[in-house]
Amino acid sequence: MEEIGLIHYLSVAAALFGLGLFTVMTRKNAVGILLGVELILNAAALNFVAFEHFVAGGVSGQVFTVFIIVLAASEAAIALAIVLQVYRNHRSIMADQLTSLKN
Amino acid sequence: MLMAYASVAAFFLVAIGFLLGSLLFGRLLRPNNMYAGKVETYECGEAPVGPAWFNFNPRFYIIALVYIIFDVEIAFIYPVAAVFKRWVDQGSGLFALIEIFLFVAILMLGFVYVWAKGDLDWIRAIKGDPRGAQDVSSRSRAPAGQAAVADGGAES
Amino acid sequence: METRTFDNVASLAYFAPELGLIAAVLLLVVWDLASPARLKIAGLVVISLAALAWSGGMGAYFLAKDAGPHELFHGLLAFDRFSNLFRVIFAFVTGAIVLFSVPPRGPGVAPELRRDQGEFFTLILVLSLGMNLMAASRHLLLIYLSLELVSVMSFVLAGFKINDARSSEGALKYVIFGGVASGIMLYGMSWIFGITASMHLGECAARIAALTAQQGKVPEVVFVGTACMLAGFGYKISAAPFHMWTPDVYEGAPTPVTAFLSVGPKAAGFAVLVRFFSDALGAGSASPAVATPWPVLAGCLAMATMTIGNLSALGQENVKRMLAYSSIAHAGYMLLGFSVFSDAGVAAIAFYIVTYCFMNLGAFMVVMAVAEQSGGDETLSAFRGLGRRAPLVAAAMVVFLVSLTGLPPTAGFVGKFYLFSALLTAGGAWRWVLAIVGVVNSVISLFYYARVLRAMYLEKGERTEPVAVRPLLGATTCALAVPTLLLGVYWGPVYDFVASSLSMLR
Repeated sequence: MEEIGLIHYLSVAAALFGLGLFTVMTRKNAVGILLGVELILNAAALNFVAFEHFVAGGVSGQVFTVFIIVLAASEAAIALAIVLQVYRNHRSIMADQLTSLKN
Repeated sequence: MLMAYASVAAFFLVAIGFLLGSLLFGRLLRPNNMYAGKVETYECGEAPVGPAWFNFNPRFYIIALVYIIFDVEIAFIYPVAAVFKRWVDQGSGLFALIEIFLFVAILMLGFVYVWAKGDLDWIRAIKGDPRGAQDVSSRSRAPAGQAAVADGGAES
Repeated sequence: METRTFDNVASLAYFAPELGLIAAVLLLVVWDLASPARLKIAGLVVISLAALAWSGGMGAYFLAKDAGPHELFHGLLAFDRFSNLFRVIFAFVTGAIVLFSVPPRGPGVAPELRRDQGEFFTLILVLSLGMNLMAASRHLLLIYLSLELVSVMSFVLAGFKINDARSSEGALKYVIFGGVASGIMLYGMSWIFGITASMHLGECAARIAALTAQQGKVPEVVFVGTACMLAGFGYKISAAPFHMWTPDVYEGAPTPVTAFLSVGPKAAGFAVLVRFFSDALGAGSASPAVATPWPVLAGCLAMATMTIGNLSALGQENVKRMLAYSSIAHAGYMLLGFSVFSDAGVAAIAFYIVTYCFMNLGAFMVVMAVAEQSGGDETLSAFRGLGRRAPLVAAAMVVFLVSLTGLPPTAGFVGKFYLFSALLTAGGAWRWVLAIVGVVNSVISLFYYARVLRAMYLEKGERTEPVAVRPLLGATTCALAVPTLLLGVYWGPVYDFVASSLSMLR
């Protein structure tokens, strides 16, 4: 009987990564794109923990994941602050409507 | 292999069964007496006015942003707490203590900064700061009654 | 000297430059809150410059003493000549930016130019700290942390003009692009970690070498992981196809920030790229029996980057945006050095970074000086007749532009010469193709740089009165033009110094 192993975690992480990338590419709303970025980061975090548990056998993967979570939060905070700024100046946070910078 | 998921499947079945069972039980027991007031949004006794989708005062977001940064920084203190006993046994407990206090001190400096710059004030002084003035310049497209609630009294 | 690995306490002595920067950052925050309004900006500038002098001076001292190589903090950071060289470079660049962004004084100055300066200098200094860490990091965790430190600070700085629609739009694009790129890089890192079971670059290298020898080729996982990580690095150095944010961010950001982003983080990106490739992938010392895909990959990236950068720069009316595209093209030239990855290639990249710092900073400084006098106009029309209106600044601009094109007798020519010679010494038809593409690109770049020259000297603008450039800006600009010229005629010692500083911890 096969246990739930590394490959399962990697598959979930790969699916998360793919969904995140898909979200980033298809969403027009800036906040939606940022949600996709979070998915990608979580895919990487899941990979780190899974590899640490099944391959390396220490704690560095978990430590890395804590850092990913914290940095993701601070990046999201900065990003949302910038989104507020953009909304104030443009009255829109749709990526395809921000066209004041163009060739 | 599939047996490994059996407990997950059982958990799902029990959860769904409980949900459906309680819904069914309630339907059997309760009297059937429908009127319009019953399907309205519940707002703590207030009569609901306007749509539920409106823009909140940006101050909510700013305080939430500040909160989330300080919140996740605490995640760094847990690992230290977890290994602190071992460090003390190794004789480097003082070092770890100083390190974590430095960390907290830097966080505190950030907190003092946010405080001194007035980003924690709910009712922000508008004079002299064009950003502050813009912050509360009515962002809300909701009807007047709701706008006052949403702005937390910032304009009053 | 033997390589030693220090624990956390013993490392602090070698970490002194960064400790100084951290202390200065904290001090800046306190000063911003507690200083009298009259002295505020002077104090901010003095604290920043003192910290940078300390950081750069300590780097130079370590270089002179030939300290290291050591590993700090149980192998998180490398302490070697490479990291010390970059400490000096970053301290110089950041110092120039600090001088560059001292706001104008006087009664006619808009008050918003003097607002939020405490935050501005703090962020600049944190950025400098992050760049130092990038050049020194020897561990996947530290690479990620330092890259994010630099990125997050850059996002804020790019949107620093708070009421400017273009600035905040550029910042949003930057944040989205940066987030995606660092996410993809992180995913690649997790695969590298998975196959090597270590985050330490040296251990990764040993494991990858063993696997490569065992399989007779580079394992696919390593290739995929590295390709993902290139997204993160490539976005930092704005290499195609991760360059899309560059023109928008550069145009929207305040000019000192643009100058900083185009030089500092880009150089740091190259530093971390060099270290990752030579350290983790062993690209410099790869056994010839196994063909590695990295040179071809780097060559393709280089060709795409410089061609896209140069072709897009051709039609630009806004000089700042044109320089943004030109900085993409220069990332392409530097990537050429990666397609060799011999010691000569790395030395050529590092020397090019040094020359690029001078000429690119200088060019942006002239743009700023001109825009300041023409009400924020950064288009070509603001440069019309500059040769008569501000002869000294215009002459400096000529030096910078000629150097950016890569013509003698300027530093840019020498930098490109070393890049191409490293390429051709390595030999092979593929590298000849790369060199020819590089030369053709340099010729293309002449067209758009020459448009600025023509506007300055041959065209007449609406305004003919002399431009009053602030003394600080004028002096710094000339101070940057001198080495740009000097390195074009007498570069030997500097090149030797840079080349000898590349001995890296492996």
